[in-house]
Amino acid sequence: MVAEAVIDEAVVAPGHDGQAVLVVRVRHENGASDTVTLEADQARKLLEECAAETAEQLRGQPWRRLLTALER
Amino acid sequence: MLDIVIRNGRIVDGTGLPAFQGDLGIAGGRLRQVGGKLAAPARHEIDARGRAVAPGFIDPHTHFDAQLLWDGQARPALEHGVTTVVHGNCSLSLAPLKAEHRAKLVGMFQQIEEMPDAAFRGAFEWTWESFADYLAALQGRVALNVAPLAGHTPIRMWAMGADAQKRAAKPDEIRAMQDLLRACLEAGAVGLSTSYVDMDENLAPVPSRYAHREELDALASVLGEFGRMLQVVPEFYNTDVTVARVDQLAELSLAHGIPTTFSPLFDSAAIPDNVPRVLERVAEQFARGARVWPQVQTRPIDISFSLDMASLYFIQLPMWYMILRMPREQRLALMRNDGTRKGLIDAAEPGGDTARFARLRVRDSRDASLVGRTLGEIAAERGTTPAAAMLDLSLEEDLGVHFLAASMGHEDPKRIGPILANDLVHVGASDGGAHIQSFATYGDTGYLFSEFVRAGHHLSLEHAVRKITGDTARIWGLPERGLLQPGMAADVVVFDPDTIARGDELPARDMPESGMRYVRSARGVDTVIVNGEIVWSAAGGYTDARPGVIATAGA
Repeated sequence: MVAEAVIDEAVVAPGHDGQAVLVVRVRHENGASDTVTLEADQARKLLEECAAETAEQLRGQPWRRLLTALER
Repeated sequence: MLDIVIRNGRIVDGTGLPAFQGDLGIAGGRLRQVGGKLAAPARHEIDARGRAVAPGFIDPHTHFDAQLLWDGQARPALEHGVTTVVHGNCSLSLAPLKAEHRAKLVGMFQQIEEMPDAAFRGAFEWTWESFADYLAALQGRVALNVAPLAGHTPIRMWAMGADAQKRAAKPDEIRAMQDLLRACLEAGAVGLSTSYVDMDENLAPVPSRYAHREELDALASVLGEFGRMLQVVPEFYNTDVTVARVDQLAELSLAHGIPTTFSPLFDSAAIPDNVPRVLERVAEQFARGARVWPQVQTRPIDISFSLDMASLYFIQLPMWYMILRMPREQRLALMRNDGTRKGLIDAAEPGGDTARFARLRVRDSRDASLVGRTLGEIAAERGTTPAAAMLDLSLEEDLGVHFLAASMGHEDPKRIGPILANDLVHVGASDGGAHIQSFATYGDTGYLFSEFVRAGHHLSLEHAVRKITGDTARIWGLPERGLLQPGMAADVVVFDPDTIARGDELPARDMPESGMRYVRSARGVDTVIVNGEIVWSAAGGYTDARPGVIATAGA
């Protein structure tokens, strides 16, 4: 059991408009999971916030770092 | 004398019942006989031996609002067998619209639907403000039937001015919006469209997103007076929120006795439980008596990109992604640097494995001979590797070359087929006339037959035809369309069920002022008839006929 929700995985998927998006799966403390879809700018912010170079390196990062990425 | 007789066809009448052999007679814009043998001569005879004869296809999700004003044939949708389109989706319609709001609305169309400026300026004359006058501008101009939605965004702008993008509406403003919507429906609107997702050209939420629940409920009550449709763009990228929107639409449907529909809904390996969860809730709401139709597209979703921007396509390749995020001049210098170039190629082709880029295709290039070809093919011709070819092509055209990673989502026929066959799924969401510089939105109907009838056997021919004709007319309340029965409007498509498909996606410069868009031609379609007049044939191409009408009013 994790202490707080963390990023479980992040994978590239196609967006409705033909651009690539990043689908981030968050695993909650109780084992449930949910997804958040990020556009390019938001994904870039998330990588910077997590000091990550690749999508794989987002694994295990606290979910709160998504909040910064989602701010417009 | 009959106007047209179609002889010896395999009649697929749009009901879903088994096809049958027979003739079809047309006179005065209507079907006079369906089945049997017609001995009488006609002014025009079509031999449909070996061909299917079906009702014209109805596309329920398009954005042809502007295009119809300078291209009344909605090319190339018509040649794919589409004889009726619903436009004005996603909260955006060109009416009702005050003259002072035109520039603002055009900005939203450009941002959301990726339509070029020239499509709105100079290509046609703005002669209307009211919905009725917009429809009058279409009359006599269109070759196919139109069933336009009134957009929540322009209605809100009319009633609230600049405050439409700032706050909730006051009671008197809600009443003004109700009156406006009522006038639209009386003029022939097929319903109201709204959006919870879209942003304007300044990345601010569109006006419809500022509406509180009371406002949408009040507008839905007006839809209830006419039994008309509410179309919604939900937060489709989030399953939980989409499920909540299904519940919200169900309450509006039950309270006001209206049909509702939402789009898009698509499948992705990244969120494999999205469609199953949404459809489960849709089924629960239908069981309660609500009508909440999810629209699902047939075509896979591609990713397109150039090296002019840092697409997330490269996020698994850190060196590429890092360099693409750099300022343009620095990026170009690094791509030309021998050491960096070798590093990029080695990263993309580890151990000489070229699979990652080999299947990517060139979508757009100044060199037309490259368009549509894979990087693998181009690399072999140039004696290099796919990754090197991508760098070289990009540098040769100052990063202007666009590439395509095809079928990256909504692409697994084994998953999509059963979804499309589901009786609660509305086949649609083509987005025809929109996103024109990103991908081609034409040929989804041909793809339905080639992929899900012939290849996958997920639907029978009759079922597939019903899904895009009889079902669509029933869901949207379009009288006298969608079925081949005596007395119905003579919207007919003759096609070869063994070959109907979509053509390759190709760039074309046929927009106003030679603007570029992506198109697909039709394959396997022989003849398209609208209200008893031939509007396109494989042998003769597009005709001058403009028989289209406002489809909400009947034939």
